[in-house]
Amino acid sequence: MNRKANIRQVLLNAPYTLWAAIFVVVPLLFVAYYAFTDSGGNFTLENLSNLSRYANVFKKSLLYSVIATIITLFIAYPFAYFMSKRSANVQRVQMMLVMLPMWMNLLIRTYSWTLILERNGIINNFLELFGIEPLKLIGTPGAVILGMIYNYLPYMILPIYTVLSKIDVSILEAAEDLGCNSFNKFRRVVLPLSISGVVSGIVMVFVPSVSTFYISQKLGSESEWLIGDNIEYLIKSTTDGMNVAAALSLVLMIIILASMAIMNRFADSSDGGMIV
Amino acid sequence: MEKNNKLIELKNIVVEFDGERVIDDMSLYIGDGEFVTLLGCSGCGKTTTLRVIAGFIQPQSGEVFFDSKNINGVPPYKRSVNTIFQRYALFPNYNVYDNIAFGLRVNKVPEKEIEQRVSEMLKLVNLQGFEKRSITKLSGGQQQRVAIARAVINRPKVLLLDEPLAALDLKLRKDMQKELKNIQRQLGITFIYVTHDQEEALSMSDTVVVMHEGKIQQIGKPVDIYNEPKNAFVADFIGESNIIDGVMEDDFKVKLDGKSFECLDKGFAKGEPVDVVIRPEDVDIVPAGQGMLRGVIKSVTFRGVHFEILIDVQDFMWMIQTTDEYKEGQEVDLKIDPDAIHIMKKSKYSGQFGDYSTYSDEMDALSEITEEDEE
Ligand SMILES: Nc1ncnc2c1ncn2[C@@H]1O[C@H](COP(=O)(O)OP(=O)(O)O)[C@@H](O)[C@H]1O
Ligand SMILES: [Mg+2]
Repeated sequence: MNRKANIRQVLLNAPYTLWAAIFVVVPLLFVAYYAFTDSGGNFTLENLSNLSRYANVFKKSLLYSVIATIITLFIAYPFAYFMSKRSANVQRVQMMLVMLPMWMNLLIRTYSWTLILERNGIINNFLELFGIEPLKLIGTPGAVILGMIYNYLPYMILPIYTVLSKIDVSILEAAEDLGCNSFNKFRRVVLPLSISGVVSGIVMVFVPSVSTFYISQKLGSESEWLIGDNIEYLIKSTTDGMNVAAALSLVLMIIILASMAIMNRFADSSDGGMIV
Repeated sequence: MEKNNKLIELKNIVVEFDGERVIDDMSLYIGDGEFVTLLGCSGCGKTTTLRVIAGFIQPQSGEVFFDSKNINGVPPYKRSVNTIFQRYALFPNYNVYDNIAFGLRVNKVPEKEIEQRVSEMLKLVNLQGFEKRSITKLSGGQQQRVAIARAVINRPKVLLLDEPLAALDLKLRKDMQKELKNIQRQLGITFIYVTHDQEEALSMSDTVVVMHEGKIQQIGKPVDIYNEPKNAFVADFIGESNIIDGVMEDDFKVKLDGKSFECLDKGFAKGEPVDVVIRPEDVDIVPAGQGMLRGVIKSVTFRGVHFEILIDVQDFMWMIQTTDEYKEGQEVDLKIDPDAIHIMKKSKYSGQFGDYSTYSDEMDALSEITEEDEE
């Protein structure tokens, strides 16, 4: 009986297991293989030991993505909170508006920001009407972070909105009934109950931010290149690039896994379901 | 402590949702330490009334007084009432201890005192040893107890209970009824209790408020509500009733089905049409020729303690409860004593209730199911 159930479980899982093996595990093995070999296919640790050149790029990637994640959180939380309090119809429309940009290609979305921020872009043209000197908007760290925030905001809003909208109204009333003003109600009930959504949101924004490319190429300057851009450049433009790029990817992956583990600790202690 | 006999007063409360009147000009006062039950079927406005008292709903018009002070506009967190919600509404992110301690923590009571008061509460509701238990791992009855403790620990002057036992099974419900009553006596606080179960209302309350369609139909002690219902709705809703059209001939004299009966009621105009209530257990069945009304037995149902017998008297179906068994088709007489008769003024509910011609077990069962579904 038990055995039978087990076999059935295995069979049911088979397609997924196969999928995971082919498209997740095998590529990972390739990454590891390239990271530990030179262009001739011989074992080497040089790729990894030479990575100190990229220390600053790593730092910058981490810094930008942490800043972008924090700002995204502070924009997304209030947005999700007030959205969850609207009538069902308003919620639907707002949800549509949040999702709408996601239907467009990331490249196009990012490219359109260059049109806005350029030296001769929309903002500077507008400022010129008032005789204000054009500002240097594009090619700055701010522009890169803005690009991250803009592109990944929906991934923060969605999980937070999901947990907030699931909180039973009568629980909030119970808090009021037991003496909570709005602030206490938020601090003691709403926030703890939404931590799992916040953690999911942070992971879903931080991970693509830290490994992002293109956004930084389009909105930043040469010196704003991030890890993702370097990986892309190495693969495209140099002969033994694949091996160094693999080493970079490996380290990046470890950083991401470590930060996810830390975030999961938070989620566990607040007893919430994780999306990632 | 001096008892205030108007701890809470509602004056001409009107509540409307989308233009529909849900509470219609409701006035009511509740004394300190009283156990008051709002009784009525689903949708009659019981929960809404509680929410007006708790402060979650502002009435369209009318005033709410607490200790003789108008508290319209005072937010819920500043009112010294606590609520036990229809579905408990415990905080899923806290364990049993933290749920119970919640109100005290919000009010910055020292942890030391909290610890002592929580353990008192756990004892009161019989949950010692459950401090660390997660709320989601409790049975319905246990969650119920946590909800009680969480509310009572704040020593509110008034506890509002919204169908607190509706989700429990019959046996547990009976036990909890006793326990709640004990807790109320022990603490001496006012309970405003909501239920659609008339038996529960009659057995627990000092005062019962019968509601229908957002209006109070009758306020009174359980015994008075049962023995002297004000109108056909109350008579039918509380227990079983035969409600027959009658005419007052004089004080202490009523005519029904063409016969004159002695009764204990007076103060009606001569010739005034009235509703006459006769409870099924107050009628005696006697051999044909020895009683006042002649009828034919249409059905006999065994109910355990008694038989429930439907008798057709001049096309009106009476229900009679007796411990003697009779046969269907038998011709019998009904004997009705003066103290079995209760006279009510005609109301808009006259003629709608109290004839068992359309009565059947099936309908009873159906209505019970829908009532439970709505909870
Ligand atoms: N928030 C609301 N919006 C609209 N109608 C409501 C709302 N709350 C209650 N009602 C309506 O008011 C009536 C009384 O409801 P309620 O007080 O909950 O009844 P009860 O508790 O006696 O079952 C019902 O018809 C219900 O549909
Ligand atoms: Mg209700």
